[in-house]
Amino acid sequence: MTPRERFRKAMNFEPVDAIPWAENFYVETVNRFFAEGLPAHEINVMDWKMEGYLLLNWPAFLGFDANSYFGCINFFGCMVPVDVGPIPRFKQRKIGEDSRYEEYVMESGARSRIPKKGARQTTWYAMPQFYSFPVSDKSSWERYKERLNPEDPRRYGKDWDPDAYSQVLDQYQGGPTCLSMTGFYGFGAELMGIPNFNLAFYKDPELIQDMISHWEYFTIESTREAVETLRDRIDMIFWWEDMAERHGPNISPKLYREFLLPHYKRVTAFLNKNKIHRIMMDSDGNTRPILDLVIEAGITGHWPLEVNSGMDAPALRKQYGKKLFLVGNLDKREIAKGGEAMRKEIDSKLPVMKEASGYIAGLDHLVHVEFTFQRFKEYADYLKTKLPVE
Amino acid sequence: MADILDEISSTLSDLGGAEKIRALIEKASSQNISIPDIVEKGLRSGLQQVGAKYEAGEYFLAELLFAASILDEVMQFIKPKLDAEAIQKTGTILLGTVRGDMHDIGKNIFKMMALGAGFEVDDLNVDVDPDLFVQESKRIRPEILGLSCLLTTALSEIKVVIDMLTESKIRGQLKVLIGGNAVTKEFAQEVGADAAALNAIEGVDFCRGAVKP
Repeated sequence: MTPRERFRKAMNFEPVDAIPWAENFYVETVNRFFAEGLPAHEINVMDWKMEGYLLLNWPAFLGFDANSYFGCINFFGCMVPVDVGPIPRFKQRKIGEDSRYEEYVMESGARSRIPKKGARQTTWYAMPQFYSFPVSDKSSWERYKERLNPEDPRRYGKDWDPDAYSQVLDQYQGGPTCLSMTGFYGFGAELMGIPNFNLAFYKDPELIQDMISHWEYFTIESTREAVETLRDRIDMIFWWEDMAERHGPNISPKLYREFLLPHYKRVTAFLNKNKIHRIMMDSDGNTRPILDLVIEAGITGHWPLEVNSGMDAPALRKQYGKKLFLVGNLDKREIAKGGEAMRKEIDSKLPVMKEASGYIAGLDHLVHVEFTFQRFKEYADYLKTKLPVE
Repeated sequence: MADILDEISSTLSDLGGAEKIRALIEKASSQNISIPDIVEKGLRSGLQQVGAKYEAGEYFLAELLFAASILDEVMQFIKPKLDAEAIQKTGTILLGTVRGDMHDIGKNIFKMMALGAGFEVDDLNVDVDPDLFVQESKRIRPEILGLSCLLTTALSEIKVVIDMLTESKIRGQLKVLIGGNAVTKEFAQEVGADAAALNAIEGVDFCRGAVKP
């Protein structure tokens, strides 16, 4: 089985020769790993590229593929190239600094600050402090909506051609081909900030209704060309949501049912009509109080199942059976300790999760920078001995 | 008297809206109920009920935030009436996210709930140096120091702050409450904090207990 075949079968609860293993790394973690021995020259990604300022194909570094070194799958290894961001983007630029921080306008239009390079042992590019957001009310939403036109031809790349892409995607067997969608909670929180977005459900429900109606239209129409031409060559929808904290979901089941559910059903019906049935929600935190509704909405998988928030893959499997494929749930805190703690965490879950397929192993979040290269290698080496299915 | 205060309390806990509560406050005032009683037995009691509903899984973050915003709106309405009858503050909390961590959402929610419960909150924002926590603790003399931390990589900063408080001989003068996604009850014990709050409501409950005479 190729990694792609294995991943597809696991999501479909079909027998596999080994449990697939997927991880995603913070850039700071890969940076640390380089300093501790990860050989950059072995994992850099080079390809020909035509930048456009010359009629010339020229080799370029495109990044680093740490997953290939450890032997795990990257969800984002093969993405269908649909741009679902604001077009035009806000120009990312520095708008201020002091002795300690730099302040930026981000491409989403939010404003943030990050510690200056060298000010800390680790620079937290992945986690700036957002202090202002582009949408605050009806009029700022109306202005922002102009950047969310699904018909904008720039949503598909310069090289978009469904037949050619279909062939290229077929060549990729290193993992699933994903189409990314932003769930409405993730969408709204990104545009308004979590507190204001949550408050708007109560203080300005008309704004929320207008936003979600546009979200549904935008999500379906911006991806329609890819969905209707590639169909089930798209293995999985990566549905980014991030809608929960340790105590529970950020919005109640009542709000989920009233506002999100009808629109989610229409988006997932559109996907299902095109033979795409594997839709994986990405949300940290404790999502259990809304999982019945999430399943009713048409979501069929869940990552990363954060242990610190009480998520437990074996218990979820027992409760939901084949309604939900499960991804992650290996406690990053225990795994990062290495040795016996790491082995115990793996041994407590892998055997149970192997029983019915439908599971993709991995940490219960991205790989954090507290992992040393050696600890992560130790984890990878041990986990790989446990993945094969007899 | 109890009826109208109960009504204020239940209207807030049912997320009845600021307009409705303002009308009830007017009614209570016309019955000669004092503003401190309205705040303490009506509004703060309502906020406690909101907390209880959150703990019970009936309310979630959106409801907490909405309740805090209703309370804030109502307090703006009450403010002009406060001159004559000062409301006693519950206590003082010095608050911040530890050095190396830029997260503030959880901290800000705790702050809103603590303000609603009558605490004065001095917020040092995020990425706060340990010596600033110590310096401000000496200056403000809070009953509670709240340290927030979401990143496991920044957890060690909590111990740095607590050790510095001990070195400065002020550790015994305040309670240290830690919160944020990275903290656990076990970790609080390990580093010598007084408590770990796993959510904002638990944090405010701890603070209430900490200032009880």
